Amino acid sequence: MATNPVPDHVPPEMVRDFSLFTSPGMPPTPNGDPHAAVACVHDGPPIFYSRYNTQDGRGTWVITRAADQRKVLQDAETFSSHRSIFSSILGENWPTIPLELDPPAHGVFRSLLNPLLSPKRVLALEPAVRERAVELIERIAASGTSCDAMKDFAFPFAVSTFLRFLGLPDDRLDTFVGWGKDLLHGDDKERPVAARTIVAFIDELAAMRRQEAVDDFMTFIVQAQVEGRRLTDTQVRGIGVLVFVAGLDTVAAAIGFDLAYLARNLKDQQLLRSEPDRIPLATEELLRAYPPIQLIRVATKDIDFEGAPIRRGDYVSCATMIANRDPAEFECPNTIDLEREDNRHAAFGYGPHRCLGSHLARREIVVGLEEWLARIPAFRIKPGTAPITSGGHVFGIENLILDWS
Amino acid sequence: MRIIVQKAKCQGHARCAAQAPDIFKLDDEGYILPGDIEVAEGEELPASRGARSCPERALELDRTPAARVE
Ligand code: HEM
Ligand code: SF4
Repeated sequence: MATNPVPDHVPPEMVRDFSLFTSPGMPPTPNGDPHAAVACVHDGPPIFYSRYNTQDGRGTWVITRAADQRKVLQDAETFSSHRSIFSSILGENWPTIPLELDPPAHGVFRSLLNPLLSPKRVLALEPAVRERAVELIERIAASGTSCDAMKDFAFPFAVSTFLRFLGLPDDRLDTFVGWGKDLLHGDDKERPVAARTIVAFIDELAAMRRQEAVDDFMTFIVQAQVEGRRLTDTQVRGIGVLVFVAGLDTVAAAIGFDLAYLARNLKDQQLLRSEPDRIPLATEELLRAYPPIQLIRVATKDIDFEGAPIRRGDYVSCATMIANRDPAEFECPNTIDLEREDNRHAAFGYGPHRCLGSHLARREIVVGLEEWLARIPAFRIKPGTAPITSGGHVFGIENLILDWS
Repeated sequence: MRIIVQKAKCQGHARCAAQAPDIFKLDDEGYILPGDIEVAEGEELPASRGARSCPERALELDRTPAARVE
């Protein structure tokens, strides 16, 4: 796998045998801890080159320090987001919006979308989010003393929350989860099929809302005006596809890793159960410890960045799970301390692309943990089972069989 | 005490407002309002907590006496 040639401008001593896809702990691993596994990069140089570090097997520079990632991500002029990750799966070239646009075009779309997911709006969405969490957890509590927390809670909770936001009914939830799985964790055959299915679905939804307006997100998008003009079909598709994909896996993965941590650390679990006021602060620490995403930028010009000769067109990786274990930024980064203060973690990125859904995601995790701990007694990983974790572009946890018998 | 707001660096994480909503006011998009913030007496603790919570380093504490006299 790691046979990509190293570009001529990369000094051989800056190449390290590390990859978010192939290093130990990255392929699907029973009882794995992929976040702890990547923390080992901090034993080495702050910036290095990895020969195999994207889904399609490209080499990237790897920025390990939080302060350097902040510099890269705040400087969109030098480090561009324009890379068509999604459409390139289809052999096409259009950006998901706003993710793959650079300023100033990026800002125009962010301003359009920001109010829909602002802290104020999220406050208004919260009662419905909580209702959904309670409904799912009560069903679990009533049906026994064990469950697969991913299948029975994390996925349906996260996915139905954003389906409601998009204005879609819950009845096809399993289908959507399946598309998301194939897209993010599938092989070279499954990914294009899933991508094409999602595009067709979004296009069809947009066409329906153009014909008949309802009070939902897609209607808002097809009616929106930017600089005095309606959005083009490609822009509508770019937004729809992104919001669909962004909410599918991330929140579910975060909740899964959080519950797995609590299942293995009964003292912390009991602390949060008896003092639920601590959950918002604890959620920040769990977001620091278990963030799911690697960010990629493309250099727009030659630059010597903190000693690395980055050349135009090079890929630059800012993995949030690496920044969040940076000892220069966090005291004892590998210790999970649910009372940690001043926790300026990178889970939602830095710079203009800061996660648009971050306020909703935070509330979902807090509400999910609150309602779970209020209804499920001391739980642990069911003996004889093992959660399967994986690294990659989006870190994931496949199954989480919990037991409270 | 005063908080120097570098509005251009704000990316709307809203962590400051989560610490102290009355000190750090956000606009409808969820980004901080422009202009430095004079911190009232007795509010130094939540104000400095809020400033220290900004992931973008957009908020800076100014404890110089000049800032207090102003
Ligand atoms: C725990 C859950 C989540 C995490 C950790 C997360 C993380 C991130 C990160 C790191 C970025 C920055 C990407 C980049 O700079 O290249 C991002 C962008 C984005 N996220 Fe999230 N996300 C989460 C949940 C959500 C949800 C629930 C939504 C939708 C409701 C969402 C919508 C978006 C959008 C639209 C962008 C693109 C913003 C832009 O480019 O300006 N995210 N997310
Ligand atoms: S924490 Fe920083 S980035 Fe976030 S709203 Fe406040 S000033 Fe802006």
